[in-house]
Amino acid sequence: MSWQPPVADLLFCLRQLVPLAELARAPAFAELDLEGETPELVLAEAARFASEVIAPIGEAGDREGARFGDEGVRAATGYRQAYAQFVEAGWQGLAAPVEHGGQGLPEVLSGATHELWNAADLSFALCPMLTDAAIQALHVHGTPEQRALYLPRLVSGEWSGTMNLTEPQAGSDLSAIRSQAVPNGDHYLLRGQKIFITWGEHELAENIVHLVLARTPGAPEGVRGLSLFLAPRFLPDADGNCGAANDLRAVSIERKLGIHGSPTCVMSFGEQQGALAWRVGGEHQGLACMFTMMNLARLKVGIEGVGLAARATEQAFRYAQERVQGQRDGEPVAILRHPDVGRMLLDMRSTSEAMRALALVTAAQADLARAFPNTGEGAAAQARLDLLTPIVKGWCTETAVEVASLGIQVHGGMGYVEETGAARWWRDSRITPIYEGTTGIQAADLSGRKLRLDDGAAMFALLDEIGATAQALKGGAQAFAGVGAALADAVLHLRASTRLQLTRMRDGERDAALAVSVPFLLQAGWVASAWQMARALRKTAGGADPFSRAKHRSALHFLEQMLPRALALGARVRVPARSDPLPH
Amino acid sequence: MAVLVIAEHDGEQLAAATRSAVAAAQLLGSEVDLLVAGHRVETLAAAAACIAGLRGVLSCDAPQLEHALAECHAPLVASLAGEYSHVFTAATTTGKNLLPRVAALLDRAQVSDLMAVVDAQTFVRPVYAGNALETVRVEETPVVASVRPTAFGAVGDDDPVAIRVVQLPDAPPAGSRFLKLEASPGERPELTTAGVVVSGGRGVGSAENFALIDQLADALGAAVGASRAAVDAGYVPNDYQVGQTGKVVAPSLYVAVGISGAIQHLAGMKDSKVIVAINKDPDAPIFQVADYGLVGDLFQIVPQLIAALEK
Amino acid sequence: MKVLVAVKRVVDYSVRVRVRADGSGVETANVKMSMNPFDEIAVEEAVRWRESGQAEELTVLSAGPDACQETLRTALAMGADRGIHLRVPDPGGALEPLALAKLLAQQVAREPVDIVLLGKQAIDDDANQTGQMLAGLLGWPQGTFCSAIRFVGEGLEVVREVDGGLEHLALELPAVLTTDLRLNEPRYVKLPNIMKAKKKPIEVREAAELGVDIAPRVQIIQVAEPARRTAGVVLNDATELVARLREEAKVI
Repeated sequence: MSWQPPVADLLFCLRQLVPLAELARAPAFAELDLEGETPELVLAEAARFASEVIAPIGEAGDREGARFGDEGVRAATGYRQAYAQFVEAGWQGLAAPVEHGGQGLPEVLSGATHELWNAADLSFALCPMLTDAAIQALHVHGTPEQRALYLPRLVSGEWSGTMNLTEPQAGSDLSAIRSQAVPNGDHYLLRGQKIFITWGEHELAENIVHLVLARTPGAPEGVRGLSLFLAPRFLPDADGNCGAANDLRAVSIERKLGIHGSPTCVMSFGEQQGALAWRVGGEHQGLACMFTMMNLARLKVGIEGVGLAARATEQAFRYAQERVQGQRDGEPVAILRHPDVGRMLLDMRSTSEAMRALALVTAAQADLARAFPNTGEGAAAQARLDLLTPIVKGWCTETAVEVASLGIQVHGGMGYVEETGAARWWRDSRITPIYEGTTGIQAADLSGRKLRLDDGAAMFALLDEIGATAQALKGGAQAFAGVGAALADAVLHLRASTRLQLTRMRDGERDAALAVSVPFLLQAGWVASAWQMARALRKTAGGADPFSRAKHRSALHFLEQMLPRALALGARVRVPARSDPLPH
Repeated sequence: MAVLVIAEHDGEQLAAATRSAVAAAQLLGSEVDLLVAGHRVETLAAAAACIAGLRGVLSCDAPQLEHALAECHAPLVASLAGEYSHVFTAATTTGKNLLPRVAALLDRAQVSDLMAVVDAQTFVRPVYAGNALETVRVEETPVVASVRPTAFGAVGDDDPVAIRVVQLPDAPPAGSRFLKLEASPGERPELTTAGVVVSGGRGVGSAENFALIDQLADALGAAVGASRAAVDAGYVPNDYQVGQTGKVVAPSLYVAVGISGAIQHLAGMKDSKVIVAINKDPDAPIFQVADYGLVGDLFQIVPQLIAALEK
Repeated sequence: MKVLVAVKRVVDYSVRVRVRADGSGVETANVKMSMNPFDEIAVEEAVRWRESGQAEELTVLSAGPDACQETLRTALAMGADRGIHLRVPDPGGALEPLALAKLLAQQVAREPVDIVLLGKQAIDDDANQTGQMLAGLLGWPQGTFCSAIRFVGEGLEVVREVDGGLEHLALELPAVLTTDLRLNEPRYVKLPNIMKAKKKPIEVREAAELGVDIAPRVQIIQVAEPARRTAGVVLNDATELVARLREEAKVI
């Protein structure tokens, strides 16, 4: 059954919710016609590519999965061809720097296209997502030589990138990393084992550029002793021609709950003489360098949640329109007409739209921060990006799992059967609250770091803005007064939760803050996304076309039916944590 | 004023669609003339004269009319159109190729694919692949319209009417030359004009299994179609595809085998007079449009159906 | 050789169109729009001629509201050299085929070309008229519903998809051609080409000021949903089906 990508809503978000006008006047984006045809032209083609090239391979990816054999890792049927077309069409370079062959388009547009790739097939989309992250890290931290050699081929997609952090004993705790890089002339020799390396080996790209966290000899203990290294799968000459294989390989791939098409590799570096590697950025600066990739990647993982939730929603709607069960007024009806199915579908649709809006508005902050460096505006955007990144990552992914689960529920028993494909979105979504930092890590980042660093200033600034929107709704049309009041109330509660978390962190009750940090993050997620839906409600007020009417319905549903969750989460944050140890 | 219908033929036989165009013309309440243009068309004109309810047949015989080249036929039709209130032809590929050129020569709009006649100036036609029906009114004379053959019955035969020979007007050189016609292989009727269509879907399972669809089509004298899913799966070539992006068919009988009935497929066949669905899933959407359904394994049902037809 | 391709912006083929409740037409506000698929095939074919050197200039033209420029940009991103937008203000932006054919004929008179290539029909009004009308107005030979187009000597040989099979014609130039589905498979537009296309020129002219009668000739009285089919009966076996088809439906 063919999938219709949500181009209209993406364009609505870009044109009505994202500060595109501000971006368009930035010198970096001035030539790109962001307020004109560019978003529609790019998204229309991306939607076509996603639905006609990427989406059709997903089923084979899910069923066959990537395979590991004597020749190493082999992608599932169709992936190689689709990737070649992806490279040919130049999508990898969308947001990459112009000087390295990219198009220099803003991150917010990259986010919108990534939603489409993710919705088409997350397994496939992970490969270009990681390449994007590698491009970003090398662009910021690489030497001129490294940039000249690697970036053009990464930007074209001829070569792909990976992130190598995790080791068997070092998961969320990177301080336990043991991989070693020993200086050897102009390079290092790298040894160690990495696990959970997405697209760590494959035959889609000509070369794979691994970015690896490792320790140099004599480095300090903990994360302060980590440095970032670049180790290509094949050693390129000065012109970028691939030469001999480096001393690194995948030794196995994981069997997983979902994303079967994406090979999750155990990578072994330096089984023989040591893998040739080059340091990226300063010695012992590895974690900071890696975070250049990680912050972007966390936002993009949030957008994975958006893509999967939206895809699950679209499929559930389609099924509910066609599946006839039961009667109303003596006539057989499609299940969409039954009130509880309608409720599930509206939960799904409104939540997916709210996720999309929040993720894109956040992505636009990255662009504003980059476009207006050293200005108050740029600093404010950076502060909001820093604040919202863990929220987008944590809330969009946790919520995506719920939405995809509801998608199965709408299908009833048929949803539990793999043939309908409804289960795939849920299985694939389940990894997203885990990788690139679990929800717990995101929540610790939010309560323990982001709030503390500016004493809550960025959060309070956000709450002031949300409060203003709530007041505008309350004072506007009668029909919106109720949801305006609900949003105002939610703001009050989130403000109280924020103060409480700040106090706990300040007063040395770190454990108490962390114990409710996930409820706090989710509370912030529901409120921040409700803000976007409230803005959408105001933008479409009075519109009689089907899109405006549908958006209206979604926004009201979200504010009336979904936002109350924030209050319950706030109640969890309020309760003092118990200090006695967990009985076992 | 009378109505002029342009006959379609292959040089030997009148196309069945012409009888439907005549049927539509007769609904206008005026007398109907039929134009038979071609080369060595005496026999054809005589056959045409037997079509029931005509006022007369116009016959034009010239070597340059041998093939249905619009460049040669359009000036002839345009030269005759002044005497008529309406100019109709069947919306076959021949009619679709010719009629707009005639309309342009007459400086008239054209109504394509007429499905119903409301009155002499008002017609119903499909837009958006039949997902909407437009009622349109034309005040010009003549009204130029192509007729969807499947929307009208076919007129039978009666006593012959008079045949009048008309002359081909002088026209500039055509600039086009017929080279050859590669007839569709096989004995099967052409998909878009067939009276019966049997289509297979993903449920058929493989290109080899499609032979079963062929056998059923042979038993029914039907054309063979397929859903997009079957085409995408490589069971049959692209030109078998019935649907919004493929061919739109409206036969008297449409048999959907192993087709779930995605909306795009329904758009291509829902105007069929009678629809039969054979599918193992009783909830497949195809059953919501089917007049008759058989629920079960198509590999059992289809052979039984072939046997029952041959009885 | 110079080629003109006409393209139309239509509701995307994947959209399930909805008839407006007041019967005035179908809902097009905030609906996904794209280039008419047959026109996309026409652009693809002409771009291939351009790339192989058979065509030296490829112009694309679209008539309609301002949004048509997006469709022209897509054609430019596919490889056309320049665009012409004949602006028809919205609402009422739809042109009848005869009006468009006249505008195209006037454009050809202003800037002669060797081939005008169009889609065989637009998937919104499904008229299948413009190419044939244009050929009639210009007095040019026409090759409609082409599934193959070859340059032979000074002219063309085309293969046409007709009801009975494939018809081969030889055409002199200049000529009007229309495309059928099997002519080619349009390419995926490359992102860099989308960005480059923004720098290619689009000339905008007001259709009403071109001295051509584009007033509508056909009055649309109402647009309605087709009658919905209702589910029929599930039968017991093949024998019963054959009996019903013979005796009740009388279709075999």
